[in-house]
Amino acid sequence: MSIFEIKNCKKKFHNVNVLDDISFKVDEGEVIAIIGSSGSGKTTLLRICTFLDFMDDGTMSYIDKNVVTSVNGHAKYIGQNSLSLDALKKNKSLTAVKSNFGLVFQNFNLFPHWTVLKNVMDAPISVQKRSEEEVKEKAMKYLDKMGLSSKANNYPCQLSGGQQQRVAIARALCMEPKIIYFDEPTSALDPELTQEILKVIKELANEKRTMVIVTHEMNFAKNVADRVIFMDNGVIVEEGNAYELISNPKMERTKRFLQKYE
Amino acid sequence: MTFRDIVFKILSGSGATLLIFFSTLLFSLPLGLLIAFARMSKNKVIRSVITFIISILRGTPLMLQLIVWFFGPYYIFGFKLAAEWRVVSIIIGFSINYAAYFAEIYRSGIQSIPIGQYEAASVLGYTNSQTFTKIILPQMIKRVIPPVTNEIITLIKDTSLAFVVAYAEMFTVAKQVAAAKTTIVPLFVAGLFYYIFNYLVAFIMERIEKSFSYYR
Repeated sequence: MSIFEIKNCKKKFHNVNVLDDISFKVDEGEVIAIIGSSGSGKTTLLRICTFLDFMDDGTMSYIDKNVVTSVNGHAKYIGQNSLSLDALKKNKSLTAVKSNFGLVFQNFNLFPHWTVLKNVMDAPISVQKRSEEEVKEKAMKYLDKMGLSSKANNYPCQLSGGQQQRVAIARALCMEPKIIYFDEPTSALDPELTQEILKVIKELANEKRTMVIVTHEMNFAKNVADRVIFMDNGVIVEEGNAYELISNPKMERTKRFLQKYE
Repeated sequence: MTFRDIVFKILSGSGATLLIFFSTLLFSLPLGLLIAFARMSKNKVIRSVITFIISILRGTPLMLQLIVWFFGPYYIFGFKLAAEWRVVSIIIGFSINYAAYFAEIYRSGIQSIPIGQYEAASVLGYTNSQTFTKIILPQMIKRVIPPVTNEIITLIKDTSLAFVVAYAEMFTVAKQVAAAKTTIVPLFVAGLFYYIFNYLVAFIMERIEKSFSYYR
């Protein structure tokens, strides 16, 4: 089953093509790594997948349900009746789609005024309207999995960066999404904490969670991801089996990029 | 007139001072939030009008504004002024003037919240109003407490400006007594009251600030 699919996605910022004809598909249980240098469009792509940004043209679907269709060369979002960005941000139909995915940010973006437990529990209760009992049980389960059950009543500022990122992962998991996006989840962390987070993501991969990870950790991508997408200048240059592509890139641009990591 | 009489006489004016102070806070603190929203509105007309009004309120003396509020209805519309209008006009003048200052403080507080907070909230599916009330507002309040405290302290001292429309608040009374008895003591007594009042306010605000210090 395809969890997510995007086709011919185009995005311009101030008349510069940031994304040009991007298409890819994520099947259930697949782990996809997106690699590429800064400014290649990786983050913009994730932002479009998570409705933090909106594409100009193309189509998108979650769980085989169309979310964006292309009408006369323009992207049309479901429930969209105005072209304004403001209307898109308030679009209720899109809000419903959001429960399909979770996003883990580079800078964690935890809510600093809430305890760890509240950070994990609040959205399932106040957005998804799930019962407090059920959510609390799940939240504690995920925090435990992240090795943080003893920190449930602490505030984010009392945790290390790695711990904060693990809370952010627990927060995403507790929404029970079908797919989790990671936007350079270790870029704000030192090498030791990076390993801590990569280990957690690897465990999630072993559980066959569907994930898309934007990363600069080539070894991690090679060993954990099923497929790798290499982006450069807003286009997908090469896509394929993670291990093969990273050990044996075919395209010149991919080779040049990967050389920097050797 | 003994020292005791002076103190009691001045205290009789402190009720009026407290009335202006608390009424102004009651109205201007929430009104400031409304003005801040309008000031940040995506509608250009609303935004420009509010920005202009704020600049007038902050750019002219409060004393002048109080006089205009009090006499305006008579000079402009020829209304006969009711006796209650004096205190009502003072409270309106103070509330609107302070709301303009609070609005700018709130705005800076709201705009200082990192964009990542909005983005995390959006991805989790919070509505705009949930995002504001649950995530942005509580963090904004923590950030604006120190500048709001400054304004509140200024407000206590500014209440004395009500003398321009001959309202018998503490300072007006102290001045009258000082003039009648040719002594400076009443002014010192009034000064002491303002000082104690401010000391209390600073103390309370510090407590409130501390209650938010559990996170960074």
